[in-house]
Amino acid sequence: MGIVSTDLHKAGAIAVSVKDVGMVFGDVHAVRSASFDLPKGKFLTILGPSGSGKTTLLRMIAGFDNPTSGEIFINGQPVSAVPPHRRAIGMVFQKLALFPHMTAAENVAFPLKMRRHDARTIGEKVERYLELVRLGGYGGRRINELSGGQQQRVAIARALVFEPDLLLLDEPLAALDRKLREEMQLEFRRIQKELGVTTINVTHDQREALVVSDEVIVMDGGEIQQKAQPVHTYRSPANAFVANFIGVTNFIDGKVSAISGSTVSVESNGQLLSGVTAADGAPLVPGTACSGAVRAEQIRIASARAGLEGLETIVEGQVADSIFEGERIVYEVTVPVLGGAILRVFNHDPVSHLQFGPGENVRLGWNAKDMHVFKK
Amino acid sequence: MRHSRVAYPLTWRVMDVFERLAAAVWPSSFQRGLPYLMLLPAVVLVGLLVLGLIQIGDSSLRTLDTSTFMMSENYTLANYQRALSEKFFATVAGRSLMGAVIVTVITLIFAFPYAYLMVRTPSSALRKFLLVALFLPFFIGQVVRAYGWLIILGNQGMVNEALGLVGVPPMRLLYNYPAVLFGLVQYMLPFAVLMLAPALTAIPAELESAASSLGAGWVRTFRHIVLPLARPGLVGAGLVVVTLSLTDFAIPAILGGGSQDFIANAIYDQFFRTSDQGLGATLSLLLVAVGSILVGVVFMLFGAGTLAMGDERK
Ligand SMILES: Nc1ncnc2c1ncn2[C@@H]1O[C@H](COP(=O)(O)OP(=O)(O)O)[C@@H](O)[C@H]1O
Ligand SMILES: [Mg+2]
Repeated sequence: MGIVSTDLHKAGAIAVSVKDVGMVFGDVHAVRSASFDLPKGKFLTILGPSGSGKTTLLRMIAGFDNPTSGEIFINGQPVSAVPPHRRAIGMVFQKLALFPHMTAAENVAFPLKMRRHDARTIGEKVERYLELVRLGGYGGRRINELSGGQQQRVAIARALVFEPDLLLLDEPLAALDRKLREEMQLEFRRIQKELGVTTINVTHDQREALVVSDEVIVMDGGEIQQKAQPVHTYRSPANAFVANFIGVTNFIDGKVSAISGSTVSVESNGQLLSGVTAADGAPLVPGTACSGAVRAEQIRIASARAGLEGLETIVEGQVADSIFEGERIVYEVTVPVLGGAILRVFNHDPVSHLQFGPGENVRLGWNAKDMHVFKK
Repeated sequence: MRHSRVAYPLTWRVMDVFERLAAAVWPSSFQRGLPYLMLLPAVVLVGLLVLGLIQIGDSSLRTLDTSTFMMSENYTLANYQRALSEKFFATVAGRSLMGAVIVTVITLIFAFPYAYLMVRTPSSALRKFLLVALFLPFFIGQVVRAYGWLIILGNQGMVNEALGLVGVPPMRLLYNYPAVLFGLVQYMLPFAVLMLAPALTAIPAELESAASSLGAGWVRTFRHIVLPLARPGLVGAGLVVVTLSLTDFAIPAILGGGSQDFIANAIYDQFFRTSDQGLGATLSLLLVAVGSILVGVVFMLFGAGTLAMGDERK
């Protein structure tokens, strides 16, 4: 443990600290040596595909399972000997886990009763938290008399009403339709900011991770791939997995031919393309097999005669398909000089909408700083 | 030729022939009647039962002439008067009812942890073991099992021999009330577990995790979450156990040795020992009435919905 982080623990600024935590089920390594610190009051999202170990990590923090290796600290204290009901953690489950034999208000009152709060203050507090989640007046409803979104809100109120040190969310929005989900994401954000409660959210929805979080951890195969702020994760992915998982990314395979500083020259199908080393990525040396990643929105598309001035890399191609998605058009362009690779390009410019049809010759261009080069 | 055989296998063609035959015998215009037709066997069976009840009702209103051994021609309530006033029948009824209640309570207490462990254990080997252990007694049958207890609990039985080894003189473990209750509990346990297991499966394990993260230890999780949600299963299992124990014949007969008769034993005696069909029929009807009232009261208290039948909402 470094001096800086010890100071942080002393100041009580770190809410959760996960140190080398691993979890093995039989021969499945659900989580491998995960480590991170989460400062108080922050909203962290763990983002990863299904089966990447997100729920397992969350369950260990909540205390339902004990890590097979490593230790978790909450407010600086190791917690492996502390059962879930003695940890001050509110959790919203994937399937909500509301108690069907109780009303909304009884559900919210449950943690207060279990924690032996003064009976006279419970009613008032329950009402206050139902209002916080905009369910004032719905307390008397049974759970099955509430809509999906309303049930969601009851689950949040129940997890927050006892003022836990930490709020855990295990993909509670996954089952909602898109519109309601986006509404609830902002709602989570609002409530979290209002109460200032440290929050760990788990999701496989990259948009949600970018929208709601202060910090994003990307997980794959039980391993943490990157931990950074959303903008940084998006702009400087640590590896090809992160680049591919978040956003729409084109990968151009090749070999490192030269490096100077952060500039990398990549040879692909006899072409020399210029890119940059990934900020948090594995080191590269000339000759390494590598992959250049360019986001679909970083590529400009223009007619075959256009100049595309100011762009450092320019290639010729032929439109294979154009897909109208409302606010943008997605072009799929075949590029012969890159071995017939198909690059996806977003065009958000309304003036050029539907400018190119299938079969048309076009030019694509991008800047060297927008091609991140990863070791393969 | 072979090619088309592959594309259209023989089994399909056989099925086609069957379908055409079925369509000829049973045109699709009859289809709407099918569900009712399928109800028919059940309706016939229940109908026979009702006919039997009417027959029994008729017998219960006639008395036995002990000199001629003929049933009286005229209807009379004399049998009911006897059944309700004679002390012997009150004793038997009281013994059966109390026994049924005690057996039900003990059985549910034993069955609940068994069913819970069977449903919740992460080890599939343990789950299979518990299931097999549950079903094994079914293959043995009630009477054989009761005789098994005679061998184990008899004066020269295994238990008394073991007690003898540590110097305890032989005890009379059989032919008393506790022996009958013990045999009944052992007989009822699998029924109760089988009725409880689905009810417990229907409670998501996540609810228990949620309760613990909200501050409830396992005792309070059990009291406030598991027990209320398991109520339909408990009521259902309780009803089955109480009615089966109340009407049981073999266990009181074998383990009670004639001194611990339940209602069914008294009915048997009337029909096959004293040949008083009238009194036997009366006792049978009274037993049906008591059982029905019991079930009715439970339904009124908990609602038929608690048996997971019909809609959740009241
Ligand atoms: N109780 C368990 N027993 C065995 N394997 C498990 C258990 N829980 C999770 N796993 C395995 O661990 C891996 C990670 O699962 P999980 O944490 O649920 O992923 P996620 O929540 O990211 O979808 C998966 O391969 C899963 O099959
Ligand atoms: Mg999960």
